[in-house]
Order: sequence, then C-alpha cells, then structure tokens
Amino acid sequence: MNIVSILSTLEFGIVFGLLALSVYSALSTGLLSLASIAFAGCGAFLFVHLTDQLNWSPVLVLVCAAGVGAVAAALLSVVLLHLESHYIAMATIAVVLMTRVAVLNLPGVTGGVNGLAVFEQLSPLYIIGALLISIWVFARLRRSRYGLASEIVREDTTVAATLGINIRAIRRVSFVISGAFGGLAGALLASLYGYIDADTFFMDLAFVCLAAVVLGGAFHWIGALVGGVVFTVLPELLRGWFDQADQILNGLILVIIMIFLPRGLADPLRWRTIFGVGRSRRARLPEGPEGSPDQGPGPIKVKEAQS
Amino acid sequence: MDLLLQQLVNGLSLGSLYAIFAIGFGLIFANMNILNVAHGAFATWGVIAAYFLLINADVPFWVAVLAGVLGSGAIGLLAELFAFKPLRDRNAGMLGSIIVAVGIWIILLNLAEVVLGPNPKAMPEGTFPSQPIDVFGIVVPPIFLVNFAALVVVAVGLSLFLSKTRFGAAIRSVGFKPETASIVGVNTKLVLSVTAILAAGIAGLAGVLTSFSTNNVSFTVGEGLLLKGFAAVVIGGFGNIRGAVIAGVGIGLLEAMTLQYLSTTFRDAITFGLLLAFLVIRPQGIFGELKVSRA
Repeated sequence: MNIVSILSTLEFGIVFGLLALSVYSALSTGLLSLASIAFAGCGAFLFVHLTDQLNWSPVLVLVCAAGVGAVAAALLSVVLLHLESHYIAMATIAVVLMTRVAVLNLPGVTGGVNGLAVFEQLSPLYIIGALLISIWVFARLRRSRYGLASEIVREDTTVAATLGINIRAIRRVSFVISGAFGGLAGALLASLYGYIDADTFFMDLAFVCLAAVVLGGAFHWIGALVGGVVFTVLPELLRGWFDQADQILNGLILVIIMIFLPRGLADPLRWRTIFGVGRSRRARLPEGPEGSPDQGPGPIKVKEAQS
Repeated sequence: MDLLLQQLVNGLSLGSLYAIFAIGFGLIFANMNILNVAHGAFATWGVIAAYFLLINADVPFWVAVLAGVLGSGAIGLLAELFAFKPLRDRNAGMLGSIIVAVGIWIILLNLAEVVLGPNPKAMPEGTFPSQPIDVFGIVVPPIFLVNFAALVVVAVGLSLFLSKTRFGAAIRSVGFKPETASIVGVNTKLVLSVTAILAAGIAGLAGVLTSFSTNNVSFTVGEGLLLKGFAAVVIGGFGNIRGAVIAGVGIGLLEAMTLQYLSTTFRDAITFGLLLAFLVIRPQGIFGELKVSRA
C-alpha cells in the first residue's frame, strides 16, 4: 500500500467520520436518525450545481451545503420529532427511501437514473479544515449548557423534564446540527466520489454510518470520527483476500463489538474507570434507557434494575 | 376491464408475497423487539438453499420450497444463538439490536453475493409449471395461486398457533415481558429460538416464492421484499397479522395499479410516501399494535 492510497483512504475515512458525526449529533439527544444520509444527498447535489454551473468558491459552497442540510433538518424536525424512539428510526429510514425516489424522479436537478458527474475536486485541505471546525464545534458543544442538557435528555427524558429542560427544543437543535454536518459531509463526499446518483445516498451508507458511530462509541463525539476512520481503513487493509472479504469482516466486527464492547471503542465511562478521573462511576452506573446501549464494564451488575 | 382484472390478479400475487414477508418481519419485531434489517437477507438465503438444491438434485417444487424455509430458518437460529442472544444477555437496548442486525445483514448480503455471483440467475426450467392458466381471458401463472395459498396458510396458521396453543401463548408472553414470562415458567431461550426460526422460515418462504414468481435468483431478492415488507408492517401495525396481511396485499395492489395507470417512477413514491405518512400521522398502524405497553 503506497502513501497516496493511504492518504486517499484517510480522506474517505475522515469524510465518513463527519457523516457519522451527523448521526452522532442526533443520537446524543436520544434520536436514532438515519436522515443524515438524506441531508448528505441535499448537500451533495447542491455542491455539484454550485461548483460546476455557478463556479462559486468552495468555502462558500460548503457553507451553503451545510446550510441546506440544516434547513432540511429544521423542516423535517417539525413533523418527525413528536415520535417515540423506534418510530423516529423508522420514519428517518422512510425519509431515506423517499429521498432516493425523489432523486430518481427529478432528473432536471439530480440527473435521475444517470446521476451526475462531479468535476470539482477539493484539495485535502478543505477536508482537514472541515474536520478541525467540526472538532472545535463538538468539543465546545459538549462543554456547553446544551451539551449537558442533551446528555440528560438522552439518558432520561423524565429527569430532563423535571429539571425544566425543554426536551423538544434540545432535540430540535441536535437534529439541525445533524442536518448541517450531514450536508457538509455530503458535499465533501461528492467531491471525493467524483460521481453521485440515487444509490450513493441510500440505506447501505446510512447503516454504515450508524455502525461507525456505534463502533467508535456513541457517547462521545470522538467515537464517530474514530468509527468512520476505522470502518474505512480496516477493509482497505484487508482488500484482496477474496471478493467481499472486507465487507464481511466489517459485519463481523460490528457484531463482535456490539456484544463484547457495547459502548464502542471510545467510551468516556471506561476512561474514567481506567484513569480514575471525573465523577465516580458508581454514581453513573444505572443508566441505559430505551435507545442506548446499557452498562459499561464493571463488577456491578444491575441487570434487571429498570422495569 | 380485462386489464383492470389482470392487474388485480398481478397485484394480489405480489401483495401476497409482501404480506407473507411482513408477517415474519412483524413477528420478530413484536416478540423479540428487534428491528431486524437482516430479514431480507434471511429471505435471500432461503432462495440460495432452494436454488442450490434444485440445480444439484432433481427434486420437486415442494421440496425446494421446504428447503428454502428450513435453510433460512437455520440462518435465523444461528443469528439468534450467536448474535441476538449474547446481546440480550448483556441487556443492550434497541440501538444495540439494530446495530447487530445491521452487522448480520452486511455479512449475509455479501456472503450471498460471493455464493451467487453478481449476475442474476434463473430457477431451473420445468421445476414448476410456467404455462399460464387462462381464466376468462385473464392470464394467471400457476405460481400466483401458490403465492395466495401460501399467504392464507401462513396467516391463518400463525394466528391460530399464536392464539390457541400453549406455545403460542408463551411466545406472546415473552414478547410482552421476558422477565415475567420466565417467572411463570416459560422457557424463554427456547421460545425466542423458535420465534427466530419461525420468522426467518416465513421470510425464506416469501423469498423462494418471489424467486419463482419473477424467475430471478440474485443476492438482492430479499432487499426489495425487506423495504416493502417493512412498509406493510408499519402500515398494518406491528405484531398484528391481520394488519400485515391487509397492508401487504394493499401495497401489492396499489403497485400493480400504479404501474398500469400512472408510471413506473411513481410506484415506490406511493408506497414509501404512504409509509412516511403513516409513521408521522398514525405510527401504530391501521389496527394499532396488539402489544400493550406498560406505563
């Protein structure tokens, strides 16, 4: 494997990581949303039109892509956010299915079944820039009042409501952030692929992103980035054993990680137990409401505690 | 008029397949609390079992169907034993089970591509009579009758099994609350394994019949079923066999009519639009969920 292919793989890994961040953002308030892929589709097609036809500068286009994702998310949040946990997941799956139908049926905008060629190749600097900005945003958000509130909303909505947190508003904010990063990642992905069509932004990508988040760790923003990179680089290293070996291995890793390391590779709770920093873990243990992997490693088993 | 009747017949056959698949998908959701995205891959593996039996041995149609059901049932059991059960023992929530299902889906789909190759194949000639029957000017391929009969058998059989037998009651009790069920003496492990086999076997049946109906053996057979079956389950209501049947057949009819009177491009738009509308406006489906949720 030469240095060029390693770099290109890393680029893909980072962009998948950004898309996974979009999924993480919604998940950080307990919304299991695959709509990020639909937002990525919006961002990608906007990217093609603005760069190829209007020749706008890349930075401006990336900002617009993030903006269109955020607007789409804000509109969707009006109809979707009243749903309960499973139904949010299913409704966003339906949104992804509808996106594909829309892409196929709007050939004037999206090229229909033929797809669109992307001529604008962004330099890796844009990807690194986007990565740094995302890290800054998520690191700041985690330490903010919003970050605290979102953690409570995710862990227990009843507690959140008792504390006077507006659950719907927090979730809406997380959904809009998810939309913005989805749009941004979609635009970057379009420039990496060089060609986009209806199947680029479909269920496979949605599941891979969700998988990347959970593999990396769904309890810290760095997990999404780690998951995105691992999920891209690992198959690349193993390519060529036999057909589809890389994909099959991805699936196996996913199942094994979920069973043996349900909180993912990057898990703040485990850092606390290993390094002994932060709050005591006994105070945090009985957690894991609907929609979140339950229980970190440790001697205390509270298996059927919440019922 | 003939055209309308013809499309009704086509839609009924297609809808029967969707409905059969949806029953299995709903069974696994309602009783194991897993949104099983790998269910389509289970169906594909049923097709693979039937296909390889047919090209290697000269067996009758019924044996091939049975092989498909058993094959996918076995895959379902493996998934339950090696993935869902260990996960359940660790008490991971809904997200965990979806991710594991995604993992299984990736594995099974890609293995299927390795086994079948990327190009679609056809079921061997002459396994099942393909000569259509002419009923008052309407062309009815014999497989259509099998599809419809299979739906009736699966729907009625499973309803009776779940509502009239002790084991069916055990399945429902585990679906309601596993801890309570095991306190009153239900063998939860056995019940969940049987549920997984049943659900996967039903998926295999739908897959094999789809392959015969469309004369298409490929590694993506199950994926189309998954999306339409998912829509049928949501619209009909989870854990509700009657709802799944009505919604599945309804979607099949709607698709046949759309193909005939509107255009191909609208087919998926209408189905998935309906799915989204139901999720937003009436997430419990037409008839509501049978499961009683605790406060």
